[in-house]
Order: sequence, then C-alpha cells, then structure tokens
Amino acid sequence: MIGRIWAIALNTFREAARIRVLYGILVLVIGANLMAVVLGEMVTNEQARVARDIGLTGISLFGSLTAIFLGVFLLYTEVQRRTIHAIVSKPIERWEFVVGKYFGMVLVLTVLVALFAVAMVGMLLLQDVGVSTAVLKAIVLAWFEVLTVAAIAIFFSSFSTPFMSGIFALAMWGLGRVTPDIEAASRDAAPWIRTLTKVALEIVPDLHLFAVSGRSINGEHVSVHADLVSWGYVAMASLHGFGWIVGLLAIAALLFHRRDFV
Amino acid sequence: MADLAIDVRDLTKTYRTPFARRKVDALRGVTFTVEKGHIFGFVGPNGAGKTTTIRTLMGLIRPTSGSVKILGKEIPSREARFKLGFLPESPYFYDYLTVGELLDLAGRLFGLSASVRKKRAGELIERVGLGRAQSQSLKKFSKGMLQRAGLAQALMNDPELVVLDEPMSGLDPIGRKEVRDLIVELRDQGKTVFFSTHILSDVEAITDHVAIIARGQLQAQGTPSELVQKTILGIDVMIRLAADSEPGELTTGADRVRRHGDDLSLTLPADSDVDAWITRAHAAGAKVIQVSPRHETLEDLFLREVADADAPASAKEGRP
Repeated sequence: MIGRIWAIALNTFREAARIRVLYGILVLVIGANLMAVVLGEMVTNEQARVARDIGLTGISLFGSLTAIFLGVFLLYTEVQRRTIHAIVSKPIERWEFVVGKYFGMVLVLTVLVALFAVAMVGMLLLQDVGVSTAVLKAIVLAWFEVLTVAAIAIFFSSFSTPFMSGIFALAMWGLGRVTPDIEAASRDAAPWIRTLTKVALEIVPDLHLFAVSGRSINGEHVSVHADLVSWGYVAMASLHGFGWIVGLLAIAALLFHRRDFV
Repeated sequence: MADLAIDVRDLTKTYRTPFARRKVDALRGVTFTVEKGHIFGFVGPNGAGKTTTIRTLMGLIRPTSGSVKILGKEIPSREARFKLGFLPESPYFYDYLTVGELLDLAGRLFGLSASVRKKRAGELIERVGLGRAQSQSLKKFSKGMLQRAGLAQALMNDPELVVLDEPMSGLDPIGRKEVRDLIVELRDQGKTVFFSTHILSDVEAITDHVAIIARGQLQAQGTPSELVQKTILGIDVMIRLAADSEPGELTTGADRVRRHGDDLSLTLPADSDVDAWITRAHAAGAKVIQVSPRHETLEDLFLREVADADAPASAKEGRP
C-alpha cells in the first residue's frame, strides 16, 4: 500500500517539477525577499520585523494559492485527460490514488514552505537577528494551514470542475480565516440567522487557528515578533488541521470511488 | 467448463443524463466467455459498446447489472488486477514522463522491485521498438509511438491476461504487423489476449474466438471458421479476352464485373453452370485464368450482423 501511494506521490511531485511549478515557487520566494529588502530599507531598525512578516505571509498566501491551484486540477485533469485509465486498472485502490495525489502535493508545498522559511531565516541571520521559537511555531502553523487548504482543493476537485473548485476552495479559505469575526458579527442578528451562521461555520475549517500573530488568544495578545502561542496550542491547531485533512480526503476518496471513468 | 480468463454474464450499462433524465443503454445483456490461452477478438462498429465493455472489465465503469469475473474473481478485484495488463483506447499517459519512467511507475504499482522494474522496462522498450526514443518525453511521441509505449506498460507485470482496446489504432502497416506478431507471441507464451478492433483482417488473421457487438448487444460469437458460412456465395472468375474483343453475353447475370484492359474479373451466381460458361468463354476466344469459389468472409458476416442490429424490429420479424 505504502509503495503504491508513494509511486503516485512521487509522480505528482515530478509533474509539478516538470511543468515548472517549482520554478514558479522559486521566483515567488526571490520576489518576496527582494520586497522584504526594499521595505526593510524604508523602515529604519525594522528589517527583522519586515523579514518575518514577508516570510510568513509568503508561506501562508502563496502556499495556500499554490495549494488551491494545484489541488483543483489534480483529480479533475486525471479523469478528463484519461490518464487515470492506465492507473486504476492496475492493483491500486482508488483511495490510495487520492491519498497519493495529496501526498505529492504535500511534497511540493513542503518545498515551497521550506524555501520561504530558509529565505526568511537567511534574511534574519544576515541582520544578526536570531531565529526565535515564535518564528518556528509560526512556520509550523502556516505549513499546516497550507496542507489543510490543499485537502480542501482536492475535495472539491473530486467532483467539480477546476473553475468551480477554485471558487469554492478560495471561498472556504477566506471564510476559514475569519470565522470568529463572522460569528461575532452575527451575535446581534436574529436567532435564526445566528443559528444558520453557526451551522454554516461548522462546515468550514477554522483556518484562523493557524494565523495567530497579531490576534488575541485566550485574552492575550500574541505576535511572532515577541511571544507567540505555546507548543501545546501548535499541536492542538495542527491536530485540528489533521482532522480536516483526513475527513476531506475520506469524502474525496468516497466520491472518487463511486465515479465512472468514461 | 473450460478454464476461463473472462466470464461476462448479462452485462448491462445504462447512462443517465443528470438533468434531462434521458437513459442511454450502452450495453444490453452482453454475455460471453474467454478461455485461457486464447486470442479473443471483440469486433464492432464505432459506438457499438466495445470500449464500455472493456472499461467495465477493467473496473473503470460500474455495471448497471450482470456479473463479470476476471481470472475467476468478481470485479473489482485487486488480486485479479495483479495478473492483468491493459492498454486503453487512444492511450493517454503522463506526457512529462519518458517511456522508462512510465514503465517504472507501472512497475511500482504492481509492487515490482527496483531491479525487476529496470530489467523488464529495458526488455520491453526494445521489444516494442522504442529503444531510440528512451530519452524523449512522451509529449514528443507520435500516436504510433504512444501506442507502443502503452503496450509496453500493459506487459510490465508479465500478465496472465492482456486486454487491449484498439491496439492497432494509429499504427502503420509495419506497426500493425508487429502488434499482431506480439499478440500471437503472447498467446504462444500461454497468455490470454482480449482485444477490440474494427480492422477485420487482423481479427481473421490471429484470433481463436470472435464476438461481434453492435448497439450494445452481442450479435454473434464463435471461432472465425464457425461464424462464416461454409456455403459458396458465388464463383470468382478471371479471363483474358481476345485482343480488342468485347465480353458480350459473358457478363450476363454476373454480380460484379471489373475490366482492366483485356483482363475481365467477375463473380457468377453460386448456382451458375460454370462449365457451360467456360465453354462460352473459350468459344469467344477468351483464355480462362482463374476460377475459384467465394465463401463468406468475416467482413461479410460483420456487415450482415451490424445491418441486422440496425434494422427495425418489424423488418426482422418479417424476414424469413
């Protein structure tokens, strides 16, 4: 089983490499860091802050957008281009194929996160600023956010076109980032709107859990430039993301299992 | 009962359009068996249900009803797929891969070790004649080369049963002969080959068993010699006329007449008095070159069965 999943994952990573997605990521990293250098020069004594902000925003924003871009095409194009015919006729279960495609994406997105993280750490070291555990925690959280968004995109790709999947995944990513704000805004609304909002938000992953810098967690202001959340929080948030990933992949695999490949 | 590689019983597949709720019966009670060690030709016009049947066998499509067993296992069976090789119709592969990488991926899915994958891929690339194109990505392959790559990946696991959907499609005459030879070679190795085609000469040349499908139903099946009628359909005659003469009454009653210079080819009705006709030809100064009986061919049978399937039910009822 692991060998078959790995074969699909490796092939997915190879596809991303051959269609130059990795070069695109490298261009993004270089561009973001050049921007960090320019902005850092404009703001005296704040170069480290700018490097951290640009680096983490880069991971979260470009990582999530790359996850959506890759994810929405992943299963759809396999069916559309019929490349799947020669694969699922071999002794591989359809769920193994879905999981393999996801792990391939995980490899690509991990390269993206690692490149952004290495560039950010390099920038901080150049400025004689150490890398705090707050930065490491923020990177782990951003990584899990990206992996959760990838699972959202794959889920939609299992039954919808890339265009529609892209819209759904972007909407879910945007909503997931602001679920507490939506909940707060609905507090003064009519009871039925509150109930409807509550139910609607239950089907959206709480992606805001991964973007904590600058927010108030348990009544305390946290920031990547000072003290971030505890490792316990990081573990709980990651577990939340992991739960969504498993759930979304399970439904995607179920939908994929029932499909006819004509 | 003989040892069966494929056992299909009352297979039906109905597609429903999601909004119009229109039903399309792609397969309507298809039943056939394929014995192990045989070459089975699955013949039908475009849209007859060949590819739907094959995709159902491969587990790509769920049947609406009926049962399908591959190598004794009810589909979808992962155990059976370990012993199965499949070439899809107009094969689409990951075009960023080289043929070696494609075969390596196939080998990994069959759980082959790295050394076996490498050895087998090398042998198969040479076997299908892609040795010179090893370093090219599949994107740069012609249709015929893709077909060869598809055949190689179908054989990566040294399968017991090989299912080929239109394997000769896109190949030039040399390529077609090579594929025919490969299919016969596989049978000689004890493997079972099931292939679909609409090139009847290929079927006639190599198959042990043929099934004809049209409009989602099997119209006929059996060995090629069982299927074609043994009765004489006509007498093919070729004569050389005397210089600058006309055939005159010699063509009277003939089904088909062709003339090239002084050479005249024609088909006389099966019940003709051939001796009398030859005597008349000699009397007219012609020289008889060839006389041979014309039996039904697989093509005749195919055209008859397909026309039969297309005919309205009322026409069939009124027929003797």
